[in-house]
Amino acid sequence: MRSCIHAEQISWNETAGWASDNVSAKSADLVLYFGMRAALASGRRYTELRTKFPHAHLLGCSTGGQIHSGDVVDEEIAAVALHFDSTTLKLACAPAKDPAQSRICGETIGHALAGDGSNGKKLAGIFVLSDGLNVNGSELVAGIVSVVGKNVALTGGLAGDAALFTETLVGGDGPPIGHQVAAVGFYGDRVRIGHGSAGGWDEFGPRRRITRSQGNVLYQVDNKPALDLYKRYLGDEADGLPGTALLFPLRIHDPQHPEYELVRTVLAVDHETNSMTFAGDMPEGWVAQLMRGNLDRLAAGAADAAKQAASGLNERDGVAILVSCIGRRLLMGQRAVEEVEAASVELGNRMPRLGFYSYGEISPHGGSGVCQLHNQTMTVTVISEMNE
Amino acid sequence: MDRLFTRQLTKATDHTGKVDIDALGNLVTAAYEQVERDRRRTDRSIALMAEELDELNRGLESLVAERTTALRDREAQLRAQNLRFDAALNNMSHGLLMFDANGHMAICNQRYLELYGLSADIVKPGLSVRDLLQARSATGTFFGDADKYVASLNAKIASGETYDRMVELPDGRTVSIVSRPMAGGGWVVTHEDVSERRRAEKQIAHMAHHDALTDLPNRVLLRQRLAESLAALEVGNQLAVFYLDLDNFKNVNDTFGHQFGDALLKCVADRLRERVDANVTVARFGGDEFAIILSGLAKSGDAAFLAQNIGEAVRAPYDLFGYAILTDTSIGIAVGPDDGNDPDELLKKADMALYRAKTDGRGTYRFFEPEMDACIKKRRTLENELRTALAKGEFILHYQPILNLTDNVVSCCEALVRWQHPERGLISPAEFISVAEEIGLIVPLGEWVLRKACADAANWPSDVKVAVNLSPIQIGSVNLVPTVINALASAGLPASRLELEITESVVMQNTAAMLTTLHRLHELGMKISMDDFGTGFSALSCLRQFPFNKLKIDRSFIMDLSHDEALAIVRAVTTMAKSLGMITTAEGVETSDQLAQVRMLGCTEVQGFFISRPLPIEKIGRVIAEYAPRKAKIA
Repeated sequence: MRSCIHAEQISWNETAGWASDNVSAKSADLVLYFGMRAALASGRRYTELRTKFPHAHLLGCSTGGQIHSGDVVDEEIAAVALHFDSTTLKLACAPAKDPAQSRICGETIGHALAGDGSNGKKLAGIFVLSDGLNVNGSELVAGIVSVVGKNVALTGGLAGDAALFTETLVGGDGPPIGHQVAAVGFYGDRVRIGHGSAGGWDEFGPRRRITRSQGNVLYQVDNKPALDLYKRYLGDEADGLPGTALLFPLRIHDPQHPEYELVRTVLAVDHETNSMTFAGDMPEGWVAQLMRGNLDRLAAGAADAAKQAASGLNERDGVAILVSCIGRRLLMGQRAVEEVEAASVELGNRMPRLGFYSYGEISPHGGSGVCQLHNQTMTVTVISEMNE
Repeated sequence: MDRLFTRQLTKATDHTGKVDIDALGNLVTAAYEQVERDRRRTDRSIALMAEELDELNRGLESLVAERTTALRDREAQLRAQNLRFDAALNNMSHGLLMFDANGHMAICNQRYLELYGLSADIVKPGLSVRDLLQARSATGTFFGDADKYVASLNAKIASGETYDRMVELPDGRTVSIVSRPMAGGGWVVTHEDVSERRRAEKQIAHMAHHDALTDLPNRVLLRQRLAESLAALEVGNQLAVFYLDLDNFKNVNDTFGHQFGDALLKCVADRLRERVDANVTVARFGGDEFAIILSGLAKSGDAAFLAQNIGEAVRAPYDLFGYAILTDTSIGIAVGPDDGNDPDELLKKADMALYRAKTDGRGTYRFFEPEMDACIKKRRTLENELRTALAKGEFILHYQPILNLTDNVVSCCEALVRWQHPERGLISPAEFISVAEEIGLIVPLGEWVLRKACADAANWPSDVKVAVNLSPIQIGSVNLVPTVINALASAGLPASRLELEITESVVMQNTAAMLTTLHRLHELGMKISMDDFGTGFSALSCLRQFPFNKLKIDRSFIMDLSHDEALAIVRAVTTMAKSLGMITTAEGVETSDQLAQVRMLGCTEVQGFFISRPLPIEKIGRVIAEYAPRKAKIA
């Protein structure tokens, strides 16, 4: 068996415009692109891509930084054009007006992609990009899974906005806009979607109990305002909330199932209600513990995620999509590239690699296998197509 | 070279290979700053973490302290509760055992050990029922079949039932043992010494059927036995029911007091018991009434024989508290089934026969005869008529004059009540006074007599008194003094003209209340006389206690004046009376000889047919008047 996917990495920057090292652009079926909000907001980049790839589905989003091969870049748009020999695709979009509607939004996407694709090919996997600020990622994922089932590999991420948390954009066969979720479904029995997710954060301090919350809004831990806890730990850096809260993600787990841990990052804070909004659910009664990063272990985590995603692939063909958390980048600073390098070692330098720093990562849980929203992780999706 | 610096250098180098030193400097500075920030962050978070953990630790320590205190308190409470439980357990009157679901003893209280004389060294938790039975066998408090016992117990407990037994111990105690299954398996056993209760129950049952004084069966038991005997009576056989009472028992009671009476009744009961076979039921009905059932009667002669026998037994003198007491019995006999085959009917007929025996002079026995029924009916009629006689104005007073021997004038007239029956004519007091006393008519009748006598006397010459007899029942009544005062006031008669006659039986009762009443009447100016003196048992000391003005010497002595003894007695009485400042009246003077004798013997007054028989009111005035001229003649 050998992989039959054709991947062409392209990039854009202010001075050079679009550049690519290959010319078979017109046969592309899917183009994935990631860029800073400022670069995408005008919609011109989308128009240029549409012109360049008239028959391809175009799926992209704003980010907190792009991963392009082995580097982390802010100034460039990272993109990849994919051509599948036999796999067919379907793209679906759904509006995301309100976090409370996230489940319905997920169900809408699920219904649009569920079932067979053209020529009766079965849905094998979904890659989803979501608005990063107006969506409860947990509910979105639950909504999709509730329709397509647990056996369909679901990966992706929440769009980012650097460390600004102002607006995120998602484009699905259209100019990138806010309040949108877009996903592409892969159909056929030859497509392979490998995935891996790992954090590498170290928990510290006492274990706390979530004593008051509502959905993804956290009010109190151990009967004290959670925001006060963060302010105390951040000290001077509390001025940078909510972004600086990413330095101390929360690891949470159901006390009944301590083996299924999740990591949550802050999307917003409300000083009036003393509350914090997280990217996913913060169920009352769950155990929460602060985490902090250690550069070496974060990089090792990224390598672990890449290893999981690539396992089962005989050859290092296909394309790797790396979605890492903005929190990791904030902490690692200039050394963020080291986690990309660590992942690259596992994936092999021959495999095209691109990705972005997100406000939330979507991938099946390493323990339960159930797709979930993750935070502060590096998630790696490897898409390949097998030849018969 | 450091990887980061390599990257920084690469970033700061343009495509021509020229290094932008400023850009490199910025990158390096930024990297340093980040490292510094990271270090500060790490320091801060470690310090805060330590702080938080310390706080948490303190919180946990205080929580542990709190919980430890609470635990200690709970332990103390538990200990106190256990002590209370122990105290309750060991101070309960029942022996208590508790067995667990496996049949092992879990709890045993002190009382259980005491009950069976067991040692706590032997009876310990964990023992089986069989072990306990063995221990009890050793102390002689279990002597049954242990296997059988355990099997019955297990069967009951297994079926969720209570196992209830009453056990007689060799030492005579009775123990009630109740084993009850418990909800969570196992069972609880209570051992209660019910010996006392059983004795009490037996005692109560005995008391319900026996007379407390003599311990003879009572009316209830006799009636029951009589019913049984009648039911068991074979054709041709007979039984006799004796109904007896003591003659003059009331006198003994009145004279010597109830203590004496009770002692006499006990002696009589003993004698009756002695005279009959063990299978003969002797019962006391209360008062001086007894009854006997004689079953298996061959002929009526047997009953007569027993009646004589009993009569002899009762008649024999009694030695009570140093006094020789005599009494007798009257017996009524009814024979079943001839006289009836119902217990109540037979008892009623025996009672009628008793009545006849008494009216025939007491100290004898009578068999029931059908005509007795008629007699009793007659008596009932008398009672009924007597009840209405007062209202109908059928009573009248006759007066018998009493002559003063000093000046031969009528000094007093004794009022004597008569019943003017519309059909039977004049009836004497002997026939109706006792009935009036029995049916409670004596008090209103006595009051009527007082009022009438006072009213009549008011019309007599002022030196003639009137004497009225008082029944003991009247003297016992709290209303006597006001009644007398009222009668005198209504009649306008001075108290000094009223004499009240009492019999010796009053003196013999000698109660404080009666004495007070008589003294009160005496103080008010009335004269008090002792009637029929010499017939009773009154002690001479009574003469000083009671405010007597006069002794009326009983007619029996006057009739016997031909004999020296009677003469001596009358002389002694008059001499004693004189020395006590009392006057004497000789009753029943019927001849001139008697009159001469009593005068010679020093009597103050005489009363009797020789002077005048009792006369209606309209005639008495003439007698009073007539006696004044005869003064010289008699003298």
